[in-house]
Amino acid sequence: MRLLARYGIVLEFPNVQTCCGQPAYNSGYWKEARAAAKTIINAFEDSDFVVTPSGSCAYMIHHYPEMFKEEPEWQEKALQLQRKVFEFSNFLVEVLGIQDLGARFPHKVTYHPSCHGSRLLGVKHEPMALLNNVEGLELVPLPFAEDCCGFGGTFAIKMSDISGAMVAEKAEHVIETEAEVLVGLDMGCLMNIAGHLRYRNQPVRVMHLAELLYEGVSYSDEHTANRA
Amino acid sequence: MSNARKDWLQQLDEASKQKQEQFLNGIAAKLQRPRMTQKPQRPLQGAPEFWEQFELGEVEKLEMFQRNFEAAGGYVLRAATLADASNIIVDKAVELKAMHVLRQDEQLLEQLGLEQAMPQVKVRSWNDDALEDWKARAAEADIGVVLADYAVAYTGSLALLSSKTKGRSVSLLPTLLFALVPRSSVVTRLGEVLKPLDELKRLPAGIHFVSGPSRSADIENDLTIGVHGPGIVYTIIIDEL
Amino acid sequence: MSTQQTELKGTVKERAQLALNNDFLRQAVKFTTERLRSGKLKAAEEHGNWEEWRERGRQIRLHTIAHLDYYLGEFANNARENGVHVHFADTAQDAISIALQIAKAKEAKSAVKSKSMVTEEIHLNQALQSIDCEAIETDLGEYIIQLANETPSHIIIPAIHKNRYQIAELLSEDAGEQLPPETSVLAGYVRKKLREKFLQADIGVTGCNFAIAESGSIVLFENEGNARMVSTVPKTQITFMGMERIIPSWADLEVMATLLPRSATGQKLTVYMSGITGPKREEDGDGPEEMHIIILDNGRSLQLGDPEFQELLNCIRCGACLNACPVYRHIGGHAYGGTYSGPIGAVLTPALKKNVAEWDDIANASSLCGACYEACPVKIPLHDMLVSLRRRKVEAGHDHPLERVGMKGFGTVMSNVKVYHRALKLGKLGQKVVVRDGGIRAKIGPLKGWNSHRVAPSISKQLFREQYGELRSELDQQAKAADPAVAARMREWLTGRDGGASHE
Repeated sequence: MRLLARYGIVLEFPNVQTCCGQPAYNSGYWKEARAAAKTIINAFEDSDFVVTPSGSCAYMIHHYPEMFKEEPEWQEKALQLQRKVFEFSNFLVEVLGIQDLGARFPHKVTYHPSCHGSRLLGVKHEPMALLNNVEGLELVPLPFAEDCCGFGGTFAIKMSDISGAMVAEKAEHVIETEAEVLVGLDMGCLMNIAGHLRYRNQPVRVMHLAELLYEGVSYSDEHTANRA
Repeated sequence: MSNARKDWLQQLDEASKQKQEQFLNGIAAKLQRPRMTQKPQRPLQGAPEFWEQFELGEVEKLEMFQRNFEAAGGYVLRAATLADASNIIVDKAVELKAMHVLRQDEQLLEQLGLEQAMPQVKVRSWNDDALEDWKARAAEADIGVVLADYAVAYTGSLALLSSKTKGRSVSLLPTLLFALVPRSSVVTRLGEVLKPLDELKRLPAGIHFVSGPSRSADIENDLTIGVHGPGIVYTIIIDEL
Repeated sequence: MSTQQTELKGTVKERAQLALNNDFLRQAVKFTTERLRSGKLKAAEEHGNWEEWRERGRQIRLHTIAHLDYYLGEFANNARENGVHVHFADTAQDAISIALQIAKAKEAKSAVKSKSMVTEEIHLNQALQSIDCEAIETDLGEYIIQLANETPSHIIIPAIHKNRYQIAELLSEDAGEQLPPETSVLAGYVRKKLREKFLQADIGVTGCNFAIAESGSIVLFENEGNARMVSTVPKTQITFMGMERIIPSWADLEVMATLLPRSATGQKLTVYMSGITGPKREEDGDGPEEMHIIILDNGRSLQLGDPEFQELLNCIRCGACLNACPVYRHIGGHAYGGTYSGPIGAVLTPALKKNVAEWDDIANASSLCGACYEACPVKIPLHDMLVSLRRRKVEAGHDHPLERVGMKGFGTVMSNVKVYHRALKLGKLGQKVVVRDGGIRAKIGPLKGWNSHRVAPSISKQLFREQYGELRSELDQQAKAADPAVAARMREWLTGRDGGASHE
């Protein structure tokens, strides 16, 4: 929010919003997912753009029209919402045309492209563009970056051992890069990987791209102020 | 075939034709429409249009075939004439101390004169004797010699179309295979061989594309050559044929 | 017929646990799938325009399946013209009974087989053995699996879960002498041994990668040459094909030949691609004297006319989704419990079995990451199908009672923000008992599985929604005028959108 405010964009957080309903949708509980979806659709009815810090939630909203096949008026509303939902980095780069925020972040960073945002929603070049324009940031490639971290929502609970093996492999690759920071676009995946890194007492800092950019911009601001 | 057996097969076929109607009607019902009896319209067929335009020059075509065939573990040699090709085969047979050579019953292959050039080796021509156990002969052969109908540059493949004189076993059972192909029969794309098959009224019973030696990666993904088919495969491209 | 292979032991979760505790299996599967998937990516890139080819492949498959009655009829009639005896089988039992009739009439003592997933599906080997006809797998990997009395754990690399030492042991026992664990020696032994079997066999059994409607031909892709042996040497050939294997013409085969080998192994073409059009005729030099094709339904037609699953029949059995799948990589094929494993198996097995309760849990073994869809050469949306399977299971009342209660609660909480707030507050209060240093390590309740591998984050002391008011007023105070360039772009988007353009 603070980042976008720098460009004069007013962000609203409708307090009536809850969750997009993906856990229920993916588990097959569409009735329950529809209940959550209606809350979200109502919450954002008056917004021009809806920006979410999670590619997975944005992708979920793309499922809404299909969920309301039997409720045409809701399906229409769902389509309207789908058209205005953007994943955070996609909104910055594609809608606002911003690739360089003037941020400075002198650390070694590796990036995990989350499956839903990157593979299914097609958000691939945006985070790269944003990260490449951060001064001092050393971006190290993550081996097998596109592999799923094993989160998968309720999958991590229901098939916890398989999920555990997957996140262990992902964390292994993160540690291999010797990066100080792991950055991503999806809170679910980040929580999963961070949880495993913490379980193994690994000091890698896990951040959302927005967090990293904000910290980088603040750092730049302070520097400029000091020099002045 | 005995009459009883013929009758039995005929019964099977009759039962199958009835079953076919029921089976296909069931499919149409599942697709929620009446049975389709007319050939459906097809907006798209075969490879993408841009691909049909792809055509390599003469030199590039030969180079690409060689590169791909060798990358798969095969060998490609050039010969100016049939006589040169014959010398290559004879030299190899002598070098490997081959005892049995089997060739297809093709006139061109007869002109190689292998029988005369290697009197010490048993050179046979596939199927020229109705009483011979040809499968056994093919299985014991050290070297098989066949005439390929085409070579496809882009995939590095030989195309072998079977006929009375072109037995399928000759390219399959021997340990080492020589395939002769006229330079004019090297094409760029697989489709150049496949598409004309749609126009033929009756196809050869066996159409085999061969892209190198027999291989397997079934043990620890470790590549092994010569599992069931020939382990050594030479293509000889002949300029004047 | 033995039911040993059809019986499911435990749940997917339990079978996965066994696999996860088998380090060798995990390493072997990981190593090979990684190699195959890099090979595939390299081959697709080298070929170029991969998306266009994928789309073309998908279109050909969609068209054929949508007109399957026509093309299957055309195929059967043309195959008969070529002298083939064509048979239709609704079920596995029907297919077996036809095959046994043929084998009995031939008084067959042995049958050599090339790789065929359909024959695995119907358990042909046990059936042939029941009439004292020895069934011999001749694909190297399949031969090994048969000696071990197991089933394939990968569509194209059946023995992916075995190492050379285990294989050497199996083959040594078969040979009656000690063979060294060297690939070339082991393969050499199998070549020699099976040579005799090919020459003695009464029947050759093949699968079918594609069947060409316009000419009544079958097409086989392979690397070893055993499928050629099986379809050339024995006097009788029986080919088993799934009813969906059809493509209209040889021109279409070029597309399939472009997609299949590249997706399966990264090859430009398999060493052998063989089109077989009928048995040996007067004008042929060799080939089988009698040829049968058994066309099998066995649950496939259940997908027809089902908008969510019809595309499942487009599958060309390349195995690319297995190689791309992070779950498959960790648990291997046997954990899936069915003939087909990996993402395609997770959907196909319940689909072919009409989604009976017994197979329900397979659909849960996926994180829905979509890697399978991305790898699929004919673009089957397997990740969406998994969600549909889960939905149908819930609708059919086969869900777990505890999960149902939880999800009902989810619906109630998420549809009303007041209830949602109360739930969060309750959560904050409740977690006080277990939170240490901002995280939860205790392996209790629903977090038991999660916390066996991770530390769970606690709910923040101050939620974003609680801080929002403050943040908003802070930002309002320093409010900037909109950046003109940015504002212009936003307006542009809004106009474009109202003009009907949608964001993809």
